[in-house]
Amino acid sequence: MPRVHRRQRTWLARFVRHYPLGAAAGLAILGLASLAALAGYLAPYDPVANDFGAMFAAPSARHWFGTDAFGRDVLSRILYGARTALLVGFASSLVGATIGGIVGVTGAYFGGTIDLLIQRLADIMISFPIIILALAIVAILGSGTVNLIVAIALSFVPRIELVVRASALSVRETAYVEAARAIGARHWRIILRHMVPNVTAPYLVMLTAFLGQAILLEASLSFLGLGVNEPTAAWGLMLSGAAVEFVERAPWMAVFPGLAITLTVLAFNVLGDSLRDALDPRLRT
Amino acid sequence: MARYLTRRLLLMVPTLLAVAVIIFVLVRVIPGDIVELRLVSGGSFVTKSVIEAERARLGLNKPIWRQFVDWMSGLPRLDLGRSMWTAAPIIQEIALRFQLSLQLAIMSTLIAVAIALPLGIAAAVRRGTWVDYGVQVISVAGLATPSFWLGILLLLALLSYFHWLPPLTFTPLWVSPKANLLQLIWPALAVGYRYSAVTTRMTRSAMLEVLQEDYVRTAWAKGLAQRVIVVRHALRNALMPVVTVIGLEFAFLIGGLVVTEQVFNLNGIGKLFVDAIARRDYTMIQGLLLLVATVYIVVNFLIEALYVWLDPRVSYG
Amino acid sequence: MHGSQAPGGRPEVRLAAVLLTGLLVWLLSAPLSAQQPRTGGTLTFIVSAEPPSFDAHREATFALIHPARPHYNLLVKFDPLSYPKVVPDLAESWTISPDGTTYTFKIRRGVRFHDGSVLTSRDIKASYEKIIFPKGDVVSVRAAAYTMVGSVEAPDPATVVFRLKWKSPSFLQNVASPWNWIYNADILERDPHWYERNIMGTGPFKFVEYVRGSHWVGARNEDYWVKGRPYLDGYRAVFIGNAAAQVNAVKSGQALVEFRGFSPPQRDDIVRALGSGATVQESGWLCNNTVVFNSKRKPFDDARFRKALSLAIDRWGGSTALSQIAIVGPVGGLMRPEGPFATPQADLEKLAGYGHDITAARAEAKKLLAEAGVPEGFEFNLLNRNVEMPYRYVAVFLIDQWRQIGLKVNHVVKETGPYLADERAGNFDAAVDFNCDFYDDPDLQLVKFLSVEMPNGAVNALNYGGYIDRTLDRLYDEQSKSEDATRRMTLVRQFEKRLLDDKVWQIYVLWWKRIIPHSSKLHGYKVGPSHYLEDLQDVWISE
Repeated sequence: MPRVHRRQRTWLARFVRHYPLGAAAGLAILGLASLAALAGYLAPYDPVANDFGAMFAAPSARHWFGTDAFGRDVLSRILYGARTALLVGFASSLVGATIGGIVGVTGAYFGGTIDLLIQRLADIMISFPIIILALAIVAILGSGTVNLIVAIALSFVPRIELVVRASALSVRETAYVEAARAIGARHWRIILRHMVPNVTAPYLVMLTAFLGQAILLEASLSFLGLGVNEPTAAWGLMLSGAAVEFVERAPWMAVFPGLAITLTVLAFNVLGDSLRDALDPRLRT
Repeated sequence: MARYLTRRLLLMVPTLLAVAVIIFVLVRVIPGDIVELRLVSGGSFVTKSVIEAERARLGLNKPIWRQFVDWMSGLPRLDLGRSMWTAAPIIQEIALRFQLSLQLAIMSTLIAVAIALPLGIAAAVRRGTWVDYGVQVISVAGLATPSFWLGILLLLALLSYFHWLPPLTFTPLWVSPKANLLQLIWPALAVGYRYSAVTTRMTRSAMLEVLQEDYVRTAWAKGLAQRVIVVRHALRNALMPVVTVIGLEFAFLIGGLVVTEQVFNLNGIGKLFVDAIARRDYTMIQGLLLLVATVYIVVNFLIEALYVWLDPRVSYG
Repeated sequence: MHGSQAPGGRPEVRLAAVLLTGLLVWLLSAPLSAQQPRTGGTLTFIVSAEPPSFDAHREATFALIHPARPHYNLLVKFDPLSYPKVVPDLAESWTISPDGTTYTFKIRRGVRFHDGSVLTSRDIKASYEKIIFPKGDVVSVRAAAYTMVGSVEAPDPATVVFRLKWKSPSFLQNVASPWNWIYNADILERDPHWYERNIMGTGPFKFVEYVRGSHWVGARNEDYWVKGRPYLDGYRAVFIGNAAAQVNAVKSGQALVEFRGFSPPQRDDIVRALGSGATVQESGWLCNNTVVFNSKRKPFDDARFRKALSLAIDRWGGSTALSQIAIVGPVGGLMRPEGPFATPQADLEKLAGYGHDITAARAEAKKLLAEAGVPEGFEFNLLNRNVEMPYRYVAVFLIDQWRQIGLKVNHVVKETGPYLADERAGNFDAAVDFNCDFYDDPDLQLVKFLSVEMPNGAVNALNYGGYIDRTLDRLYDEQSKSEDATRRMTLVRQFEKRLLDDKVWQIYVLWWKRIIPHSSKLHGYKVGPSHYLEDLQDVWISE
């Protein structure tokens, strides 16, 4: 165990040395996560409390980022909104990548008609823009945070599945898998022992690559009124409705949440790029 | 080559058929009923029998397979049926909106390519210099910025500093180029920026890869005189993955601009799709999904054809 | 004004009275006719949604009324300048039998449809039969509103007779329904679905074109039966769903008006941009938001809990605040605050949740919660429709109000389809509901509060709460049959107290407010409490 530990530490040290930007992005994400975790202590106001004495208040010492149409503090809502963004981002890309990974690996391993059918289905599913797919799934499930996570995760599945399957396929043809099959090892054992470790890199890369996407998608769907519901603090929701209608009168309502989304997605993308280069340069796009 | 392409072309038919089946099933899973929605949502009191009569008229009481056959039998004649909401032919409903979405997609692509190719090539050629870093920052930021938010900021700037106001409704290019471009240039910019980010990155990495090939290195070594030719050579080979990205992104812009259309008040395919879903207009949702998938499949075919044409080394087995 | 009716009074008194009346009329109408109406010009206005079919008999959305109503006439209509007065349209006069069950309308002669055919009583009979007794697969969403009608007859080309099965005090208003467009009998006979996709009426404007996803155009009917009308050469309705774009269109003068209504900040935006070039008209609105409780679920089956929920809402404070950002405002009871059945202020303030001392009300609410055994931090779901204005605003407000008595509310937002399905299936704890009508009448507006099941087995599908309250049923019946107006009013008040204060089956949040900021170039238009009434016949634009 200590050896493994040290190996991980050296890997991390190498990553930091070779990819300083990626490391900085990782640090920024950790910072954001702490802000989200400590929102209860840091936020100056209750994010859902209406204050009709301070509607559309401009940024000031009392409200650093101003207030919205209900007099809710924009800063507090952004801090709490980080929770929603991270929750939706992590949960949906984790679920999406995991389902995609499992389907991809088993499909590649077993091959045959089922694999063919899954491939055709995935091919067809990726012929729709992600947002269209997500909209259709939201229509089936309904809006709300949990359904949103499911919808985003499902719309990622075919894309992730195709990549993981490709990697798994190359492993399947290798000598040791053939050998393991020949000596009659159990399927799940071969899959766990030999295939899964070999697709971990593409899995992790896809997972981080889709994190930023998930947050953008959450913002888009909430903006359309089909994602997170009021009065939950969520960045995309903060941009919808009044923020656009009164952009001239209260531009802070639109500027700050958008900035939060952009910076967060930026951090995830930079981290994702560096991870990809470090783990599996073949997947570069 | 022609035979290969013909076969690929013919293969599109079963693919589209499968797409149609999946779409049909997907749409029927969406809960909610267009008839109740339409007759009751205004708060009026309507009896069950009236609702049943209307369902019958729309053909919703027929068995599912029958509905499917009805829909499929129209497709060869390009008849997508009638919208259940407006009773107008779907082709007629889509016509103007498709024009808008198509033009916006083309404009965004042009903008993206105009930005991406020079930046991507410059970054690759000057790898590791401030040019490279600058380009990377621009493109990473482009990927992270929600284009609808960029749209909102753009509108804010236009409204408050230039007192600019877009035309109310879409005017086709040939009717009034000025009104048309005035309306579409800003969303095209907002979308084009994001789109260019994807393409720049692809151009850069594809160029980097080609520039490392032996023949290119040799040419480099021979001196500056051949450099231009080399870049041209390299570009030709690097172009294919770039073209693929451009093509796929283009296909996704038809229908994928749901939010941008909302921000810029454009009546395009994306907005029609959102409306159709909200109304549970089955035939319309089906038609739009089929349209979007068809565009994707056709673009894919064109990319493939381009591959064959650009690179004779590709075998058409 | 009584003076003008005094028979045989002294001439000078009569003269003074006539002058005074004239002066009053002039003063009242001054803002509308300060200038001589100008003929010509094209009115561009905004419609925020596109119409489904073109047949008003089967639709219930303003998105059809606004662009298409100018192509048609009604039998009688609400006076656009003095709602709710009913004035002639295609009927030039009418008589009501003493027992109130026979309505005889005299039809105008010489009215022609846009295709040149002459309008007769046959067309009116055919149109109304399509509405009241739809045949085959013809859908009428208003058949239920005319259950009292036994038959529609056309004894001669200029007479239409409605025979009612029982007396209906508001039948005339009911016939003034803006949805009851008069169609051509021959066309209906050939194809009863023809009007779903085509336009052909007798109205002030002829249909020119409808480009889906863009606009709708009408042109002046040169042979219109009202001499000198319409003033406009034509109109262009542009479909703009985006609220910000609507405001920008009015601000820039590209459109002159939107006839449904803007929110207060939008109004302020427009006024700031146009300055004296903007005119703002405001009115109460015959629409409101309520909250329905699912009385089949615990603890919503407990009147004390429901009452606590109503007490927690600071309606007066909310009215002041929300009326700055949303299209809601007036605090009211069961009937429209400015309408003939409005609750007097003194009565209103006695209802649960309508007092001015919100601290006391919340203390009482907490006491009731304790009595009902509902713990602090109790959670429930609030079902809502995913419509921005004003549903989203109302819900954010309500959730914050209930938070202040220690309740945690989960906002469940659904698209209209699934939202309605959940309401009708009783699949909710509490639900934001809405009502929107075109005339004030207790028979019409209170019917949805009747028991879900009547003793005779009839089902009230509009009672989403699922309760049975025979007292409400009895009070409704009594007020409906009441000959005496004062007595009817008293019964309505009793109904109100029972519903909103004793049992609290449902609660009213706020009534809507209609705000129409428009270009000052638009004249001859007066905002009313319904957004279903515009017909553009008398509208004109200056310069």
